[in-house]
Amino acid sequence: MLFKIRTLFDSMAVTPLYLYLFLFLGPSNFSNSPFAHGFPSSSSDTTMHTNNWAVLVCTSRFWFNYRHMANTLSLYRTVKRLGIPDERIILMLADDMACNARNKYPAQVFNNENHKLNLYGDNVEVDYRGYEVTVENFLRVLTGRHETAVPRSKRLLSDEGSHILLYMTGHGGDEFLKFQDSEELQSHDLADAVKQMKEKRRFKELLIMVDTCQAATLFSQLQSPGVLAIGSSMKGENSYSHHLDSDVGVSVVDRFTFYTLAFFERLNMYDNASLSSLFNSYNPSTLMSTAYYRTDLYQRRLEEVPVTNFFGSVMETIHTDAAYRAPSRKTSGRADIKTSPDKMVTDDQIKTTTNSNVLDQSSDQKQADQACPFARLMSSFKNKVQTVEEADSLVNYGLVTMIPLLLLSTLL
Amino acid sequence: MAETEAPRPRQRPIVRLGIFLISHSFSFSVVCCTAGVLALLLLPILAKNTYISENALMPGSANPMLSNQDVLEANRFVKDLIALNSKPRGSGIESQRLIAQYMKDLGAEVNYHKFHPQITQFHPLQFFSSPDSGTVERNISCSFHGVNTVGITRAPRGDGKEAIVLVTPYNSQKIKQAEALSLGTAYSVFSLLSRVTWLAKDIIWLVSDSQHGEYAAVSAWLRDYHIPMFTRLHTVNAETCPDINYLYDVRDNSVTGRKIYDGFKRAGTMAAALVIKVVDRSETFDDNLNIYAEASNGQMPNLDLINIVNYLAVHRQGFRVKVEKLWSLLDSKWLKNLGELFESVGQVVSSINPQWKFGIPAADYTEGIATLASSLYNQALGVPTGPHGAFRDYQVDAITLELSPRASVDKIIRQNDFLLRGGRLIEGVILSVNNLLEKFHQSFFLYLLTSPGKFVSVGVYMIAFALLVAPLPMVAASLYADAINLNSSQNNEKTVADEPGTALRSLKWVNAAKKVFVVHLWGSVVSLLPYFICQIPNRSPTVSFIIWFLLSVLSFFIMFLILASPFSHAKESQLHLREWAILKSVTMSATFIGLCLMSVINFSTAELGGLLLVPMCLMAQPMRRDIRVGSLSTLSRLAYNLVFCLIGFPPVTFVLLKGAFEGFNSINVGDFWCWVESLWAWSSATYLYIGMVHLPCWVLCIHILFHHC
Repeated sequence: MLFKIRTLFDSMAVTPLYLYLFLFLGPSNFSNSPFAHGFPSSSSDTTMHTNNWAVLVCTSRFWFNYRHMANTLSLYRTVKRLGIPDERIILMLADDMACNARNKYPAQVFNNENHKLNLYGDNVEVDYRGYEVTVENFLRVLTGRHETAVPRSKRLLSDEGSHILLYMTGHGGDEFLKFQDSEELQSHDLADAVKQMKEKRRFKELLIMVDTCQAATLFSQLQSPGVLAIGSSMKGENSYSHHLDSDVGVSVVDRFTFYTLAFFERLNMYDNASLSSLFNSYNPSTLMSTAYYRTDLYQRRLEEVPVTNFFGSVMETIHTDAAYRAPSRKTSGRADIKTSPDKMVTDDQIKTTTNSNVLDQSSDQKQADQACPFARLMSSFKNKVQTVEEADSLVNYGLVTMIPLLLLSTLL
Repeated sequence: MAETEAPRPRQRPIVRLGIFLISHSFSFSVVCCTAGVLALLLLPILAKNTYISENALMPGSANPMLSNQDVLEANRFVKDLIALNSKPRGSGIESQRLIAQYMKDLGAEVNYHKFHPQITQFHPLQFFSSPDSGTVERNISCSFHGVNTVGITRAPRGDGKEAIVLVTPYNSQKIKQAEALSLGTAYSVFSLLSRVTWLAKDIIWLVSDSQHGEYAAVSAWLRDYHIPMFTRLHTVNAETCPDINYLYDVRDNSVTGRKIYDGFKRAGTMAAALVIKVVDRSETFDDNLNIYAEASNGQMPNLDLINIVNYLAVHRQGFRVKVEKLWSLLDSKWLKNLGELFESVGQVVSSINPQWKFGIPAADYTEGIATLASSLYNQALGVPTGPHGAFRDYQVDAITLELSPRASVDKIIRQNDFLLRGGRLIEGVILSVNNLLEKFHQSFFLYLLTSPGKFVSVGVYMIAFALLVAPLPMVAASLYADAINLNSSQNNEKTVADEPGTALRSLKWVNAAKKVFVVHLWGSVVSLLPYFICQIPNRSPTVSFIIWFLLSVLSFFIMFLILASPFSHAKESQLHLREWAILKSVTMSATFIGLCLMSVINFSTAELGGLLLVPMCLMAQPMRRDIRVGSLSTLSRLAYNLVFCLIGFPPVTFVLLKGAFEGFNSINVGDFWCWVESLWAWSSATYLYIGMVHLPCWVLCIHILFHHC
């Protein structure tokens, strides 16, 4: 929406009229008033998706919970493969199965009995391990309220353009998830943390994926918009492990995670599979539980959202002709801040002293944009007409009607 | 009364219920006792299937790794061991050297442990405490020692804080084929475990020298394991015992050149222990596995340990698992009839509602009762059923696995197969225990087995006991209330406010309590007498028993003369018309307390004791009254009383039970003494129960029976 308005202005920028408008309203007014104050509550809705984060949590200890660590490491591998870099993955593992004395394959973790894929290879960065994985630390990661000494690598440094994947596995029950052997995270805690994140604009969209028994109950208290939740089982259902590795002597992967991974193994970074296709891939008979999705807080249609929006780092890119004219409001805001020092002087001074200067700049800009200004104008108008139909049309038409007024005022 | 006192507050329901029960104590006690016995008989039906309670165990989740190669190695070991028999000299030392050599070749840490078996002696002050190592007598001759061989495999990546123990008892003087096979089974597992990477707990293989008894060797090793000794015993012995010197001499010029550490090697705390025995019983159908679990005083290992062994043996290795049964019960007619009755009741119930699962086949029922009876008997005896009992004293869960091969194990193929399956079973159990993070604690410790896969937990079997003993306090209260009412009505007839009468009334209760107390005191004196009898040299069991008996009777009369005489001259008083009733009421209270206390210490003793004592206590009535009335019912009661009092006398009970199970022709008066001796040698609480609860109660019942009134 915001973006569309921006394109409108972009299209107008080629004309000198735009300049006048710019000068008339004043740069600071322009950047702050209509957008920051006009749409304060829905700012993240209107923000571009600019980055991806993943928080992957294994909450259970002990050798017989091997599969939970294998689940988490498999997901870690998948999201890394699909393009989320290590510094944007917070990996929390409550125990170290790889170095457990009972592990027949020291320093290796497998999620399949064929032992083809060692999940605990060289490039695994575990951010929180062992007894560091507590409810407190988990909530601190989500809400970003760390002690000052916590390094950046252990923080979730997301912003309002972030898509976050939150994956949790362990032992759950009705509205709780067990952490380690002593604590539990309740659905209220999770909902509260997500709400705080929303208030602090720490995400644009959040996908919570939980593989525990009665996973659906963990989502019952969520109320923040932009949150999508998938659980492996409904209330009263158990989530089962997929198969037992009779060599290692433990179950190595859970069913829900196994079929999730099976879905992703077919994909690469460039695939366009939608979230709904992922959700539809869960078969209750093979899962032995009913996967549950909570979509009522999520605005977009699942058919239109590629899974790589969350599991990869693929986001919508906007082609712009100018190298440094990023379309997002946020980045443009940054640009404004950067350019502001020479515009800090009051408006009437600018009018007289820097007029030519600005004109020169704009003429330079014109040179750069030279390609075919009128064709661009026409095409962007056409685009606008095609795309702008609903709620924002009123604003656009208002702005369009301002043009003759401005013309009139300049003539006068 | 109620009409005159209008505003009288209603009593609380619990009080009214109590009064109701006391006033109907006769029918109440009949119903409760019947229900108690019936509940005991119903236990096999109420038994639940066992299940693995601890998540971490995961039995059978990994494929066994024990291969034929290990079995071949074990076979070589067995052959070498048996070949030693043909050698003339010092076979004991030779076999220990051989075992140590084999262990060392596997890369294990080896040491010898010399021990002197403890002399079983009655120490009244150390009854429940295990005898401390300082009391070991030093001047035992050298021939009277044993040498255990201990091999320890350290877990390659473990923290070394925990260990699993394998025990194979064998007689170092003469190695039998079956014993050699048990050593071979353990060796095959040990050799595998010395190679694997997945150990989290150290493995201790204790080859115990059973020439002085299997239990003694294991308990001596455990004592030294847990109680560090700073005086080096073997250096003391070294001067006097050439055999031991020889053992260490050989060590130095052994082929490998590696020294055998002559101190005591330890690993971490023990998570579990398995005693492996092979017996050559030539089973007809299948390879058999007998599980023995009872330790001293009816303590049982955690049920999970039995569960994993049972699960792996049945579902993985195809053994036929058994627990001990009283075989004589299997053929009894009345049990079969009872089983059929329960079966038909079960069918009726399931026809009413298929949801209700009640009733098992009659054959299963008799098996269940036989197993349950054996379980109860072994627990009640309080004597461990094997070397695993020594571990329980240190709170280590342990069981004995007694493997018996199908046919004779002489055929080499059969033997290999047997070794492979036995080894894989033990490997599986060790793998499961290795997965444990803590001690066994999830499953039951208080249970009775009715088959290897079924158990009765404490919550169920306590019901039978509670029903059985519930009449005691009720009847006691009712008797007391009756006696008081009778007296007070008499008092009312004479004088309304008779001060000395009320004083005497309360005094009478005190008198009865005093009498009961004196008899219990006598009971403890009787329990202490064996300590003095043991000091007499050169006595046969029969003589000891007779001395004990005579001393007991003597002490009884002495005590009665000194302590109980004061109230003997008050008996003419009219007030003591119902004195026997009050005495009976106090006796019942004391018995009730004694039984309940015992049920906490050893349930089975209390249950079996209750079966004997409760009917005797409830029915005890002065004989003279019954004879005086002379009707059929009173005479039958008299006969009943006499029979129960005869059965209730501990030596008679013992003789009857022994006769019932083993035949009467081999019975000797001294047997009872031997039995009692074994009880205190194992510091069984049953001994204390017999002396302090059962015997006094019996004497008091006899006293009531012969009471003059």
